[in-house]
Amino acid sequence: MSLQLLTANHAAAIAAASAGRANRGARGFGSGVYPITPQTECIEMLSGLDIEKGSVIPVESEHSAMAVCMGFAMGGARTFTASSSNGLAYMAENVFAAGAYRLPIVMMAVNRTLGPPWNIWVDHGDTLLLRDCGWIQIYCEDNQEVHDLVIAAYRLAEDRRVLLPVMVCQDAFVLSHTLMRTEIAEQEKVDRFLPLLDLAHRLHQKPITVGGLDFPHETEVHRRQLGEAMGRVGGVWKEVQAAFQAEFGRKLPDPVMPYRLDDAEVALVSMGTTASTVRVVVDQLRERGIKAGALRITMMRPFPGEAVAAALAHVGKVGVLDRDVSPGLGGVLWAELRGATGLPMVQGYMIGLGGGDVRPEHIARVADDLLGRTAVGQPMTVEVA
Amino acid sequence: MEVRVHGRGGQGGVTCAKLLAGTWAQLGKSVQAFGDYSGERSGAPVRAYLRVDDTQIVNRNKVYTPEHILVLDPALLDDSSIAGLAPGGTVVVNTPDAPEAIAARFPGYRVATVDATAIARKLGIGSRSLVIVNTTIAGAFCRAVGLPFAALEAAFSEMHVEKDLPAAQAAWDAVRVCEAQGTPRAVAAAATGAAVLPLEAHDVGPPPGLKTGSWRTSFPRYTERDAPCAHACPAGNDVIGFVQALAKEGPEAAAAIIAKTSPFASVCGRVCPGFCVQGCNRLHYDGAVNTRGLERFIGDHAPIARPDQAEGARKAVVVGGGPAGISAAYQLARAGWKVQLLDGAERPGGLLRSGIPPWRLPRDVLDREVDAVLAMGVGWRGSHRVTPEEVAAFAKENDAVILATGQVKNVDLDVPGRELNGIEQGLDFLRGTNRNLSSQMRGHVVVIGGGNTAIDCARSALRRGATKVTVVYRRGRFEMPAITEEVEEAMEEGVEFRFMRAPVALFGDDHVGGVELVVMEGGGRGAKLVATAERDWIDCDEVLLAIGQIADPAALMPATWTLRDGQAYDGETALPVFAAGDLFRGEGTVAHAIGDGARMAAIARAFVGEGEGAPHRGAHAPVRAREMRFSYFTAVKTAGQHKLEPGERVATGAEVVEGLTTAEEAERCLSCGHCTHCDTCLAYCPEGIILRADGGYAVDLTQCKGCGVCAHECPRGAIEMVTA
Repeated sequence: MSLQLLTANHAAAIAAASAGRANRGARGFGSGVYPITPQTECIEMLSGLDIEKGSVIPVESEHSAMAVCMGFAMGGARTFTASSSNGLAYMAENVFAAGAYRLPIVMMAVNRTLGPPWNIWVDHGDTLLLRDCGWIQIYCEDNQEVHDLVIAAYRLAEDRRVLLPVMVCQDAFVLSHTLMRTEIAEQEKVDRFLPLLDLAHRLHQKPITVGGLDFPHETEVHRRQLGEAMGRVGGVWKEVQAAFQAEFGRKLPDPVMPYRLDDAEVALVSMGTTASTVRVVVDQLRERGIKAGALRITMMRPFPGEAVAAALAHVGKVGVLDRDVSPGLGGVLWAELRGATGLPMVQGYMIGLGGGDVRPEHIARVADDLLGRTAVGQPMTVEVA
Repeated sequence: MEVRVHGRGGQGGVTCAKLLAGTWAQLGKSVQAFGDYSGERSGAPVRAYLRVDDTQIVNRNKVYTPEHILVLDPALLDDSSIAGLAPGGTVVVNTPDAPEAIAARFPGYRVATVDATAIARKLGIGSRSLVIVNTTIAGAFCRAVGLPFAALEAAFSEMHVEKDLPAAQAAWDAVRVCEAQGTPRAVAAAATGAAVLPLEAHDVGPPPGLKTGSWRTSFPRYTERDAPCAHACPAGNDVIGFVQALAKEGPEAAAAIIAKTSPFASVCGRVCPGFCVQGCNRLHYDGAVNTRGLERFIGDHAPIARPDQAEGARKAVVVGGGPAGISAAYQLARAGWKVQLLDGAERPGGLLRSGIPPWRLPRDVLDREVDAVLAMGVGWRGSHRVTPEEVAAFAKENDAVILATGQVKNVDLDVPGRELNGIEQGLDFLRGTNRNLSSQMRGHVVVIGGGNTAIDCARSALRRGATKVTVVYRRGRFEMPAITEEVEEAMEEGVEFRFMRAPVALFGDDHVGGVELVVMEGGGRGAKLVATAERDWIDCDEVLLAIGQIADPAALMPATWTLRDGQAYDGETALPVFAAGDLFRGEGTVAHAIGDGARMAAIARAFVGEGEGAPHRGAHAPVRAREMRFSYFTAVKTAGQHKLEPGERVATGAEVVEGLTTAEEAERCLSCGHCTHCDTCLAYCPEGIILRADGGYAVDLTQCKGCGVCAHECPRGAIEMVTA
């Protein structure tokens, strides 16, 4: 296992390339790419890597980058792209199409604030904008996860019980541009871990219609099928986790990751790198004698509602830390969690919007606010910058 | 352990943090390095962070309470950069200042200083416009905080910056440390987060101007740098000057510029090896500018330039009427001296007349320029061999005597059979031939030697009717000192060559009939030339020796005189007698002779307290090709000169190379190191603060952040970045 000092952008590029090579015995690898800060380093590196039976095509926009990926995927190739922020917004039409066509595309999305006004720092609002597109969404917490989840995402996406595209999301700069030592998966292990892609509905000798007119009844069925596929993700993911650990010796995160929750009376829920800082604060609260715990949401789609509900069922007060805002509602994660769990005391906080540096003292302030509450109030924004 | 790096956009602070992370990673530590990414304008203050731990790092915040601080630009060192530094923590600063000076400003901290900018500049690290210090200062940092150099070396290797390791090593050696004294002052962290105005606050106007000039570590300066053509010219001609003048004003203006340094535009434009052409930066793009052809064009198309001639009463005698002597006489005459020129030959010109064949230098061309010098009042006495006694007398009666008789003694061949008939010194042969080309030769002529005399002999022999001519040279073709084009022309005309051969014996009953040769080995770059046991043979009817000449200054001077730096001394008494050209220096080309003649004339004048002495040339490095931005220029082929067909050349004896028919080639000059007001800098300045002023440009230094884009983009290397 080779340990390298890498940014998460580069870790993702290396992972995508190794997954691409692993399909050289089948229909190869293809990627349509268009740069955008803070993802550019990733596709720059990918473009320079040697991928047998692989092709990385620079195009003129994110919309076309996804179109190229769909073309490759329909032809049976393994596919990858990366984008961020307004690039994802521009890509959205084809993001939806990729989900609807059930193409096992993997996209590394660097979470960045949507502009204008322009802001290049982390905010989850961009990928959450695409939460209804029929894609699996996974949010990473460190560089190693970015690398591992890109590889694992293919096995999940390409599983015939799933056949859904996967978005591997990571925090802008905090992960994308931060250098950390990362274990790089050896090619032969990736080759063993990822079966050759044999896409059942690929364009081949038998003519089929893709993207024709869907009448209401057909749409009802197609939507139901999408939902059913999403429903099978949890089970398949467990298999992927087991296979990954067997091959690489590392654990992939569960859809929800509890921390010191067993006897917790108060819990803080978060996604992405905020979860790391939350755990530091939980330890500090425990030292103060407060029974605190944390829950990290790794998989936002399919939303692991049952697992979240089970993990938090016994917790009296739950604070949800959103790094996003849906104006007129509050945090997206908060709203979804509240709907999925039906718990009475779920307070929403928006923290670290626009990339503010969320430090332990900020989260401690959130915890103190939550502890002092006797009833849920309006979601509140915590300013950290 | 946390470290904060303070630098400016473009200085490489983030890479520096990454390099240090790599260094700690070599020691098995868990590391994390990242930058403070923003609208990355070069020169803007930026921070980078580094975290090191024994266990997995989960903290992803920026660094607020560092153990060490690394400052790439001393102007960034203030309370806000020190904020949060642990008491006793180390501040490593890139500055020429002593650490004590910094420590006095920030009590309670260890301070280490190193002049990383000077080291990086010396080792050429950075872009063509800006010095990059990150790799250099990493060495100083590691030493200051106790990291092993071997770990840094391994990190450099892993990050592929090994070539900068000597700079890191130099900084490691040079860093000075001042231990912490006293207790830290309380400093407030800089406030973050500006007030955000409500939507209805429309009347606030634009944001306050940001004086980005304070970001600057260096600034651009418009400069005139030496062009490589002029730098290379041994005659000291302002090549770029006359080419630009030809392009803009025409041949007369250009001729006036040449006339300052040389009376021989038409001559040099024909017989010079073309040091200017070989030096031309355009050679590395689409072909050198044919500056030699342009010099000939100017000489041939402009009336003789009459330089300003001063009035004066000083007198000089110049012994030797070759190019060095004429050049000295010319410069002294310009300075108002009364000059007498003496020579053993009937007409002035020296080797130009006796050694260079008329088909390379037509005599009317030579006469025109020689006569123009005489027309300035220079007296001529030909057919007179000067004795040492005469020279001693000249020295008493004149303000200066210039000795410029060149190399008059032929080197002879010391082999058996040298006494046979049919063996002649090449220069004697040429002298006779140049007087009378029509005298006939026949049979096979062998020429021994590889210089211009050898080639001229060979080609002259062909023109005089030799059936076959073979040049024998002891080294290889590319070691020949002869001008390459002349060698090529000789080959076109049918001259044969035997390389790596040296004569060991000449055979014949009375008249030479054959040459025995030994086969040589080596002799290339750095390889010793050695004779092998192998022999070779050529049957021949004539042999011409062109193996060089040597100077004999002693033959011109009384026995008690010596030469030091070209000036004669009688014992310890300096005399107003100077040796110029091949007599003293032996550099061998007309251009060198012209340059040295002028130089010695200037020194002779300075000896009597006149003028400014010999001009200092070549003190500054010229603009090199890699400093040029060729992409700004449309590729245009060099204008060549028409040559007669080889058969016609040999049959008629006419001048081989024709002159350029237009001066268009001058338009190809890129004006290296000389601003042409092309506005590229103005167009590319990202701040828009370069303005036209006083026929040139002015930079608004209140806004210039020293990004170096103007210097980087300048097509001709006429802007340099200067450290603030």
